[in-house]
Amino acid sequence: MTPAPAALCSHCLLPVGRRGFSRAVNGEGCLFCCYGCCIAHQVKSGSGDASEAAWFLIRLGTGSFLSMNIMLFSLLVYSGAFTGADRRVLPTIHLLLWALATPAVLILGEPFLRETWSQARRGRLTSSALIVLGSLAAYAYSTLAVFHGGGHLYFDTASMVLMLFTLGRYLEAAGRARASRDLAPLLAAEGELATVIEAGQERRRPVRELHAGMLIRVKPGERIPVDGLIVEGCSHTDDAVITGESRQISKSPGASVLAGSINLDGPLLIRNSGAGGDSRWAQICRSVREALRQSSRTQRIADRLVGAFVPLVLALAGITLGYWVHRLPLDEAMLTALSVLVVACPCAVGLAAPMAHSLGIGQLARHGCLVRSPGALEALAGIHLIAFDKTGTLTLGRPRLVDLVSDGVGDDEVLARLAGLERHSEHGLAQAIAFAASARGIDPIVAGEVRILPGRGLRGMVHGEAVAAGSAALMHELGWVVPPALRERAELMAASGHSVVFVGWSVDALAGRARAALSFDDTPLPEARATVEALARLGLRVVLLSGDHAGAAARVAAAVGSDDWQAGLLPEAKRAALDQYRARHGAVAMVGDGLNDGPGLAWADVGIAVGSATDLARETADLVLPADGLWLLPWVVARARAVRSTILANLAWAFGYNLVALTCAVLGLLQPILAAVVMAGSSLLVVLNSLRLERLPGPCRPTEPASCAPARPASEPGPTAQRRSRALALLKAQS
Amino acid sequence: MTYYALLFVAGFAGSFHCIGMCGGFACALGADARGASATSLRHMLYNTGRLSSYCFLGALAGALGQVICTSLVAGSQRQAPLLSASLDVGQRALAVTAGLLMILMALRFFGVRGWHGVTSGFAGSTLVVSLRSLLGRHGFGAPLALGVLNGFLPCPLVYAMVAQAASTFSVLGGCLTMAAFGLGTFPAMLAMGGVGRLLAPGWRQRGVRLAGSFILVLGLVTLSRGVVPMMAGHGLHHIWHIT
Repeated sequence: MTPAPAALCSHCLLPVGRRGFSRAVNGEGCLFCCYGCCIAHQVKSGSGDASEAAWFLIRLGTGSFLSMNIMLFSLLVYSGAFTGADRRVLPTIHLLLWALATPAVLILGEPFLRETWSQARRGRLTSSALIVLGSLAAYAYSTLAVFHGGGHLYFDTASMVLMLFTLGRYLEAAGRARASRDLAPLLAAEGELATVIEAGQERRRPVRELHAGMLIRVKPGERIPVDGLIVEGCSHTDDAVITGESRQISKSPGASVLAGSINLDGPLLIRNSGAGGDSRWAQICRSVREALRQSSRTQRIADRLVGAFVPLVLALAGITLGYWVHRLPLDEAMLTALSVLVVACPCAVGLAAPMAHSLGIGQLARHGCLVRSPGALEALAGIHLIAFDKTGTLTLGRPRLVDLVSDGVGDDEVLARLAGLERHSEHGLAQAIAFAASARGIDPIVAGEVRILPGRGLRGMVHGEAVAAGSAALMHELGWVVPPALRERAELMAASGHSVVFVGWSVDALAGRARAALSFDDTPLPEARATVEALARLGLRVVLLSGDHAGAAARVAAAVGSDDWQAGLLPEAKRAALDQYRARHGAVAMVGDGLNDGPGLAWADVGIAVGSATDLARETADLVLPADGLWLLPWVVARARAVRSTILANLAWAFGYNLVALTCAVLGLLQPILAAVVMAGSSLLVVLNSLRLERLPGPCRPTEPASCAPARPASEPGPTAQRRSRALALLKAQS
Repeated sequence: MTYYALLFVAGFAGSFHCIGMCGGFACALGADARGASATSLRHMLYNTGRLSSYCFLGALAGALGQVICTSLVAGSQRQAPLLSASLDVGQRALAVTAGLLMILMALRFFGVRGWHGVTSGFAGSTLVVSLRSLLGRHGFGAPLALGVLNGFLPCPLVYAMVAQAASTFSVLGGCLTMAAFGLGTFPAMLAMGGVGRLLAPGWRQRGVRLAGSFILVLGLVTLSRGVVPMMAGHGLHHIWHIT
């Protein structure tokens, strides 16, 4: 039975790939990507009364017992313990070795043989084939030597090679599972069960079958399976998986809870607010799973090389045998060829990229950063320039209304119409307008047929009149008149770096007129400057691409210290700007938030969405940072570089190791057992080198250099509140 | 033979230490439903598995010593290598290393910590957990496998003995060293299986101290072979021939 290649391994959470197979453990069907994961999983889950796991350990133990005794006797033979008078016992010892080796080879070699067979039936040669061929040849030769007399015995080689490869695979899998430890909670959503209360009875049901409105019970210590509202019970929750912030949040009836967070200390009864598969957690799980399933470019190249490697090695072993057989006794020539087979096993190459990747993805995920495409980390490591969107990315994204100039209409009327229209927008200015309207007690007028015009504004119908709000360009596009007085004031506002929005509505069926100009102020994020500086220290150029006025863009660019800025860009112009930068500086990344950035994020080599990015932006982004997570960006870039250099180092090690060892083996300088040790060592080296990524420091908030704790104060202090009150004062002064 | 007798005694004394972890396994292995002989076989298999792991480690360490010191110790391998006077530079370096390792291990038995992280190994805890699943199994494969895997569990006593085995510079010597030590642990471990309860802590403490003293002495002797080659030729000769 062969699983779909897109499935993930039950043990190490890496894609199962073509070598995958399924096996029942503890009565559950599990998928494994390799034999090593199968061993490691069974060893790990062996604490229960699981017969499968125990059976497996028995085989391993018995196999070790046999091969250790073979090794022991062989060592004694080699060291000359049976010379002289003791020579008589040698044939008996040989028979004993054969009797020990036969079951040992069968027991230890069976999984390798099975893999070789199942792959061979599909016309593929894997590295297992090399091991099987090598050890069977040694066994067959030695058996002949026992029964037809003469020659050395290589039972120790046959059994120890199998033993060492089993051990190597196990260690490798154990390392891989450790690498994907951080990923486990991010992949759990699909298999999660929830305790649903139906007709007064509790029933366990899979999360994907849940509908909105169901009652779900969550015990303390359990993961909350769905988004919902607390109906009953008080507790604390830890939302680290979703928000990246590990801190306890107090929850009482009526409070909302997020799927994926852990219910810490009290039983909760939750009413599900959406279908089980729609929670943000489930979406995260799907996207992480997707990212893991695809292999990156480096890995694809490595896989292709490995694919070509096996037949090549078989040929090389044949040539080696052919060469040495004329110069050495048959058994020694065979041993040399065997070393070639064993030492060329390209296990480490296949391990080089996926492990570093899953470690990187897992660590980013622990801090709330989602990697959506497998190549994103490698691409991010190679960029030279980061382009930022302004609004909501480098700035608070919550602009405040600071000025309103109207032309012949009341401010309240302008705000009421505008608020009705902007209800349909997710743009940062919409919230400012809603806030200003509610602060003055104005009810928005319901607008219909609202259309968002990306980069320019939006238009709709209010009371049968066409209403539009947006830039001067929009007014021009619509052919609406902007009164000179209004235009003058607006230019003044824009010159001081504020965002300006014109509001107009139709005079008759054909023509409209701008009635008011509103100016908004948006402050850079407190951490923006430190972030940009940190990026510059990493050797990156930072540019600002804004759809806003030149004045506003220049003001923010100066405030955060970016190298360059371009303003007044429509989404298409942002793409063109990215192309320009790409031509001059190489690969570029785009950081954005909101509807305007979707095309830009998709067009850049790496699209990075920050925070509560709108769904479209998130779809096109390769990387999603958590809300308020801009400060993580330098760390993410550094981490991506670490992942890439680890992958390259792994590949260099694995290939270098293989080539050197292969050369030694071809020249007959390497014993087969030593070759097996060397190979197990190379896998271990790659695993350990990848695990080094774990020891790199976590992100450190630039604004609080003293503490590196991920927790941060719940509310933003001072400046925001001050600005808000100033905006209100302004509004009051005008009315 | 005195040398191996000493190792046997060290193993016997050391088995009071083994009772902590390995004794737990021996106890838990318990009785076989098919009667006393089946139970004995079960425990013999367990201990044989353990012994073979030890012997393997010993032979490997001995082979390593032999490889490092390419020239074999003058004289027959049947003689305990400790007796020989002519040690070359490689052998002396190995003897010093092994001796120091043994002394460090021995100090642990007297309560000097600090090596804990190194000796407890990185896969040890996982292995212990997984080994429990073997305890309840019937059949004779399980106790054997349990013994074999148990032999590889991190244990300062075994490490010290492996260091000693390496300093014999021969496969046979290393194997016999560990065999003598392993056989020394048999009585207590078999008794554990039979009696099925742990000894009083006071006795265990005394046993552990005794084992520590033995290892300390062995370590000092091994060290002195490396440091004072002349003494190895004369002074030690007398020590081994007291009995």
